[in-house]
Amino acid sequence: MTAAVPIAARAREGGRLASPHALVAVSALALLVAAFLSVSIGPTGITLASLPRVLAAIASGQHDAATAREQLVLLDIRLPRLLLGAFVGAALAVSGAMMQGMFRNPLADPALIGVSSGAALAAIATIALGNGLAGPVTKAFGVYALPFAAFLGGVSTTLVLVLMVGRSGQLSVSTLLLAGIAVGALSGALTGLISYASDDRELRDLTLWMLGSLSGASWPKVLAVLPFALLIALALPGLVRALNGLLLGEAEAFHLGIDVDRAKRIIVLVTAAAVGAAVAVAGVVGFVGIVIPHLIRLVAGPDHRVVLPGSALLGATLVLLADLLARMLLRPAELPLGVVMALIGAPVFLHMVVKRGVGGG
Amino acid sequence: MLEARHLTYTTGSSTLLRAVDVGVRPGRILVLIGPNGAGKSTLLRLLSGDLKPTQGQVLLDGRPLGAFAPSELARRRAVVPQASALSFPFTVLEVTMLGVTVPGFGLSDAEAGKAALDALASLDMTDLKDRSYLHLSGGERQRVHIARALCQLAMPAWRSGQTRCFLLDEPTASLDLAHQTQVLAALRRQADAGHAVLAVLHDLNLAAALADDIVLLARSEVVAAGSAQEVLRDDLLSSAYGCPVRTNQTPQGDRPFVLPPAVFATHVARPARSLANGGGAHVLAN
Amino acid sequence: MRIERLFRGVAAAFLCLLAAASQIIISAAADVTLTDAGGRTVQISDASRILSVGGDITEIIYALGADARLVGVDSTSQFPAKALKDKANVGYMRALSIEGVISVGATLILASERAGPPEVVKTLKTTSVPYVEIPDQYSPQGIAAKVRLVARAIGAEAEGEQVVRQVEADFKALADGVKRIKQPAKVLFVLAAQNGRATVGGQGTSAHAILELAGATNTAAAVAGFKPLTDEAIIELAPEVIITMRRSSGNDGHDTNQLLTMKGVQSTPAGAANRLVVMDGLYLLSFGPRAPRAALDLMRQIYPELGGEPAGSHTGATK
Repeated sequence: MTAAVPIAARAREGGRLASPHALVAVSALALLVAAFLSVSIGPTGITLASLPRVLAAIASGQHDAATAREQLVLLDIRLPRLLLGAFVGAALAVSGAMMQGMFRNPLADPALIGVSSGAALAAIATIALGNGLAGPVTKAFGVYALPFAAFLGGVSTTLVLVLMVGRSGQLSVSTLLLAGIAVGALSGALTGLISYASDDRELRDLTLWMLGSLSGASWPKVLAVLPFALLIALALPGLVRALNGLLLGEAEAFHLGIDVDRAKRIIVLVTAAAVGAAVAVAGVVGFVGIVIPHLIRLVAGPDHRVVLPGSALLGATLVLLADLLARMLLRPAELPLGVVMALIGAPVFLHMVVKRGVGGG
Repeated sequence: MLEARHLTYTTGSSTLLRAVDVGVRPGRILVLIGPNGAGKSTLLRLLSGDLKPTQGQVLLDGRPLGAFAPSELARRRAVVPQASALSFPFTVLEVTMLGVTVPGFGLSDAEAGKAALDALASLDMTDLKDRSYLHLSGGERQRVHIARALCQLAMPAWRSGQTRCFLLDEPTASLDLAHQTQVLAALRRQADAGHAVLAVLHDLNLAAALADDIVLLARSEVVAAGSAQEVLRDDLLSSAYGCPVRTNQTPQGDRPFVLPPAVFATHVARPARSLANGGGAHVLAN
Repeated sequence: MRIERLFRGVAAAFLCLLAAASQIIISAAADVTLTDAGGRTVQISDASRILSVGGDITEIIYALGADARLVGVDSTSQFPAKALKDKANVGYMRALSIEGVISVGATLILASERAGPPEVVKTLKTTSVPYVEIPDQYSPQGIAAKVRLVARAIGAEAEGEQVVRQVEADFKALADGVKRIKQPAKVLFVLAAQNGRATVGGQGTSAHAILELAGATNTAAAVAGFKPLTDEAIIELAPEVIITMRRSSGNDGHDTNQLLTMKGVQSTPAGAANRLVVMDGLYLLSFGPRAPRAALDLMRQIYPELGGEPAGSHTGATK
């Protein structure tokens, strides 16, 4: 996006703190550091120093109790948790960035298209009905019944929304917004209805799920979200142009040669898939989608060529660091991830809204 | 050539355009004038492909607009809107370079940057290139979008037989006198380069100075079309605007009147025209 | 002769000592194999560091005198009070942290079948540390089974039988008391009251079970689980006594005031006669070894005409 000459000068005069390349490089570095910390720190006190021992034991096929424990912690607990946490952070941040581009509003959130409320509805239905009506189904899926249901719920709500609003051939952003709010309200009402019919134990499970957590991280879950990570990685580069153009306005984007309806459909579906998968494996984790893209724009400008990769990298970093706090602050107990994220994110969000330094009107 | 054939556009119960025929030819500037609500912006949006006509067709070089993919169309025409919804802190240079993001241009970053800088230079905006768009005045923002469109038009490889169109909706609305002249001169250069230019203008004097062809729209219909002399007549204008309009008259007494400098700028009007031929009419309205 | 007898005596004593010592060694070293509540066969060879997930299980371990071997508890282990003070706290039993549990370094995990989340429980069952699921049934037989299973798992079966005997004796005392009840009272168990809505214990809850044990009729038996009820519904139930749980702040007056602000409560026979009883929630509902005593205390609160001393030492004494 940049002509060779004006990069450095432009960065400073445009009120920018860093050039795009610098930001992406720093974000990638931060992610590496966060990943390293994530896998080396935990309540058991096991560090990466044990890794050579563990690898040797795997190679030789001989395990003693100590190395078995270290292997369990490093390779079966922390490593999948690291990968899942990075995915959740990247997916939520990138989805937030896309929603903000599409709605042309820095405060837009993936929840607006009904994904989170649909996922929550499906989750509570699974928790509440899993012992009754849907018993056989939940037994068939075992511990994956909940994530699978949450994902289906999130994507279904969004699909219904897109089909409803896009029927006339035009996917109007304002209609999408209002319909998303309506669908969200409906999901919330149904959720309330089911939670009324649930017993105390189920309610507690649901409340805990809604607070968000990576504690159920496992390799099967990592494999389950891998296709979504690939989907997002493949779709994103093609959306950069469309998202930049959409910031000018839909008519302008069309004038620049962007197939606006197609772009919007892809954005909505990619967002639904990303957020649906993230919510399915980690529950409801807020603020990543709003805070991270905002920070990127503040530092390096709103060009999606930097906002999208930067959001992915920094979002992953934030979630990993928050999860580290969640695991260590009250050890051996664990704080819900969503709570830590809210404690970090809410003050930043408040500052954003009050200062409105996001370049609004 | 970009033409509208028997164009009608209705929404709900109101007819915004009725049986409009308009043609924008390569190398010529067509100006749309008319009172508010006459349908000028609607016509522009139909010509740019934003809207689909209820009846009639819009053809670009003989092909209906609907037959073009958005990216293909973007390589053939650029549009400058009346207002922009941009509320994110792009720099001026970045907004200009958005004109280069049309699929199929296949430009390197260096070439894109140079094209954008050229466009900004032609509008005398080089020193603003790193300013945040949100810190600009209305007039400056207008010029940025014009620069963006100029950039878009400068990009594609030239192929003969393919008309390139430049559509502008009130490009001088927020501009001061000097910048008005600049922008209109830029439009003239575009026409000289072989593009088909259509501009909606409010100021009838600027219209008279700039236009090769003028179309007067009133009450959703074309009331008159032709050269400035043919269209800017008392009777036509008075009936269209609904108030007494007198052309080529100066006010009584010693009250001064000011015509925009663009009216006198030689590089705005078509070079072949000269004052001796009666080219250059000016209009005063009560 | 005398030396021979002395020698035989010493030899006999020595043999007894040896037998006793070997019993201890054997019982400590012997693998215990049992079937837990989930139907799994679990083999336990080392019960020296125990993690208890579930307030009732912690109570049982203390009752068995094995608390020295307890290295960690969950946040619902509130009796005895020193449990949470002395031992590591792994958090809420349905929100366990896998690495946190592992970090406690237990050699045996005794967990209620209500422990969660399911993925963490699943992983814990695959580690080398034995994981025993303890059943949760709100009945005298259920409590005895619970005690016996815990005792067997930690190798304290003799003490376990003692506790079971005590529990059975307590249940007998309870049954004797219940026999003297002329007319079962209509009781409502209110879990919490807020904003004019009371959450009551219905069918299938531990509240229902303890009310039945105490010889009362649960007026909310038509409701399933813990549900919020409106004022009107409460009036219709017309309880004669209302039981509510004490908050941790221990200010009983505050709790009854909260309830009395509800119009529905005021219109019930219980509200009119001011028969509002506040008792410690975990004491009543955890269904550990104290359950029969809790039921007896509850019965005495509901039927003060039966008289009698509060049963046993606990922090749940009512006024």
